[in-house]
Amino acid sequence: MVTNVTNFSRSGLYDWMAQRVSAVVLAAYFLFLLGYMVATPELTYADWHGLFAQGWMRIFSLLAIVALSVHAWVGMWTISTDYLTPMALGKSATAVRFLFQAVCGIAMFAFFVWGVQILWGI
Amino acid sequence: MLLYALDLSLVSEDGFEQVKAFLASPLAKLVSWGLLSALLYHMVAGVRHLIMDMGIGETLEGGKLGSKIVIAVSAVLIVLAGVWVW
Repeated sequence: MVTNVTNFSRSGLYDWMAQRVSAVVLAAYFLFLLGYMVATPELTYADWHGLFAQGWMRIFSLLAIVALSVHAWVGMWTISTDYLTPMALGKSATAVRFLFQAVCGIAMFAFFVWGVQILWGI
Repeated sequence: MLLYALDLSLVSEDGFEQVKAFLASPLAKLVSWGLLSALLYHMVAGVRHLIMDMGIGETLEGGKLGSKIVIAVSAVLIVLAGVWVW
């Protein structure tokens, strides 16, 4: 079996599953936050800070950040391997694709660490 | 930007008020609406994807109908989001 070295889990099937599981987590988090903000029109700092100070909210937020990193990587990997190909770009495709994936990876890692810092900083 | 807003809004009461004041400007509202619209559309299309994974609407007709439903549902949600933002 040929395995790809740049996809998330070395297996299309696992990537497929990871993309869907992370999607459900992100949808739940997004809908929860949206619902919270719609339900609290006059949001104060005390409400907001209190929400993120709770243990379950930190776990939920951390889960969402992990899911976002996974989801973004699988998504960007799929786009880059679909479109940044030798057929579209010629000989430089591998270099361009690698650079694109490296930039995505560094950005995602930075967002992940920053998110953790915010969550644990309060 | 979103992370920066989250950071600022959580770090102090002062920061929270800064974010609140910033988000009250027309341009910030437009950008927020744009971000919300993109997220909502992505999510609705993603839900359709999951439904199709379950084997529903995988025919040509089903695919066409599904894509129309996605556009319609997203449009409604995006309008609602706009009403909420303003």
